[in-house]
Amino acid sequence: MEKLKLTTAVLTLSASFLTTAPAGAESIEFWTQTYGDQIKWTAAIKELTEAYEAETGVKVNHEIVPWSSSRKTWLAVAQGGAAPDCADMWWLHSFSAIGGDKFGPMPINDFKSKFPVEDFYEGALQDSTWRGDFYGVPWRGDIRAQLYRTDIAAEAGVTQAPENWDEVIDAAKKMTKRGDNGEVETWGYSFGSAAKVVDWLMPLYWQAGGEFMTDDGKTATIDNDAMRKALTFMHDMVNVHKVADPDAFEKGYKARPAFVAGKVAMIGSAEQAWGNRLETENPEMDGKWSFARSAAGPANRASFSGAGYLGVLRGSEKVEQCVDWLAYLSKDDNMLKLSQAAGTVATKPAVMATDFWSDRPYKVVVAEALEDAHTSQHPAPSWSAISTSEPGGILYDMIYSVVIEQEDMDEAISSAQDLMQDQLDR
Amino acid sequence: MNEKNIFCYVMVAPALAITIVLGVYPMIDTMLISFQSYDLLTLQNEGTRWIGLDNYREILANEKFLQTISQTVIFTVLAVGISVAMGLFLAQIVNAEFRGRSVLRTIILSPWFVPPVVASAIWLWLLETNTSPINSILLDAGLIERKIRFLTDSDTIGPFSIPMLSIVAVRCWNGLPIIIIFLLAGLQSIPKSLYEAAEMDGGGVWAKFRYVTLPMLQPVLMVLFALLFLGGFGHFEMNYIMTGGGPRNLTNVLAVWTYQEGFQFLRYGKAAAAGGIVLVMCSIISVFYLWAQSKDNRS
Repeated sequence: MEKLKLTTAVLTLSASFLTTAPAGAESIEFWTQTYGDQIKWTAAIKELTEAYEAETGVKVNHEIVPWSSSRKTWLAVAQGGAAPDCADMWWLHSFSAIGGDKFGPMPINDFKSKFPVEDFYEGALQDSTWRGDFYGVPWRGDIRAQLYRTDIAAEAGVTQAPENWDEVIDAAKKMTKRGDNGEVETWGYSFGSAAKVVDWLMPLYWQAGGEFMTDDGKTATIDNDAMRKALTFMHDMVNVHKVADPDAFEKGYKARPAFVAGKVAMIGSAEQAWGNRLETENPEMDGKWSFARSAAGPANRASFSGAGYLGVLRGSEKVEQCVDWLAYLSKDDNMLKLSQAAGTVATKPAVMATDFWSDRPYKVVVAEALEDAHTSQHPAPSWSAISTSEPGGILYDMIYSVVIEQEDMDEAISSAQDLMQDQLDR
Repeated sequence: MNEKNIFCYVMVAPALAITIVLGVYPMIDTMLISFQSYDLLTLQNEGTRWIGLDNYREILANEKFLQTISQTVIFTVLAVGISVAMGLFLAQIVNAEFRGRSVLRTIILSPWFVPPVVASAIWLWLLETNTSPINSILLDAGLIERKIRFLTDSDTIGPFSIPMLSIVAVRCWNGLPIIIIFLLAGLQSIPKSLYEAAEMDGGGVWAKFRYVTLPMLQPVLMVLFALLFLGGFGHFEMNYIMTGGGPRNLTNVLAVWTYQEGFQFLRYGKAAAAGGIVLVMCSIISVFYLWAQSKDNRS
């Protein structure tokens, strides 16, 4: 009797495996980071995956990679760790170089015709292309623009957002408030919205007419007047005009609480996703803030822009299914859903032309700011290491030594140029 | 081998296996990497060349790395010294019999329930110059005229800086409960008759502490010092989360340096060499501990 029971159990289990096996073959693993509100993001992906499953019968198993560990996760994946079939990635160049032709991001040139590449912003496509290979769908933009407190501006007699660096200095001086003991109560200016010091330098350097490297990603090009102008601007805002907080260059700095509390009046390069966050998380701020296009530097008004892309991972046995899934996501309606859930600008003009991206003044501004977009990705595998905003990072150390330690600028730039070239030669 | 021995080996085997797989193997592998040119960006093209001591030479020639070693020692000595001193004091108090002892014990032990990452985030907020409620209270009370830049002031007195002292304070706050528990257990194992004898000999509070408590706590203190020093040399979370090693590298410690070298700059060989330095420092402590213990056993 016992033997019969055991046999029945084994057969039942086997049968269940057999019935689930085909479903397993028709499923793909898909990882993303979280954007905006985690619940909304998860719900949006669930809606998309369910609709896709209903349409194709392919199940998409979605997993979230927390931002706090995503870099380490992708580093591991790029070296041969357990990888999903397809995923939301960034730092395409570093991860591709690390993985070589064995692991990490996988070029999908053969499937390029399945994607409406002509419908994307050209700049966004750069973020999913490396060495001429096409890696996937750029799906989120990260455009930055000026953000300022309209109430503090009005109080200080500043009637509109600064149009150029001189006006930035003027407005920041007017909006900086000091207490009786000389302590600053409100800083007129903050370079960026998080302590990512290198991200702050990038738009200023571009605005001054500089580029970090040659188009082929092999030669460092930072020892020039544009870099001197950008660093002089940063240095002077902190040390000469004293309108920017030197503490902002340290790790624990958080601009958002300071902006909300009225301790920072203007942010030169703020993430556009803040518009969504300020609306939903800080309704008390309604009517007290506004976005504006970046102020122009001596050469242009370039704005920091990045993008994440959805791509396939080497080692996946379900490349075609993944490509179909990504092609499905790249449809305008689905791109809009992703954009709505994430609060990030879309990578297709058609999506940016929808009502969703014009129903608030700040959205109109960030859509306009896309015209100033300059990608933060550069065609060199070591760029992720060069641009790291950590002590020891080449650009970070250069900025820190000039702005905070007030050391010789020419020497700092020259040294950074040499170190950066060493990295590009890696 | 008799049956009892086999039983002992079987019981120890799982722990030994876990230690070898998760502790010994990664350690040996990391040490091997420290002698290789292990660069993630060139790995695919150049592989991992054997370069002997080059990684060690390079990092030891780096001024900031040497500063990081000294900061690690300062951080550890301060954190361990202050924690144990405070632990000894507080353990005596919670060991005494008085009304409300349980409440006091709960309060003193409560920081233990806060994971270091969470503690770092909480204290980061409490100590951030502009938003710090501590600054607000002190300013309102008229005790300070200017905000204290707890985590960003780069002025130093000798090797000491306010950011480093702030992180040491947070580390002590978070790590104190476990020290108290260790010491409390030690205190409770001391026979009361020893104190009574000391009292009969006319010994006061200090004499009882000096001639009874301290000698009797010596084994516990030795274990505690060894564990705390080993933990201190490998400490990561608070320094990384609260300051990232800044300002001006004043709060950098070896674990943070190693993390940055590996995960941010993708140079695993140099990161492994920095890990090798940590291993040497920890080995010195371990050897010292084993020597002291064997000396104690002999005596």
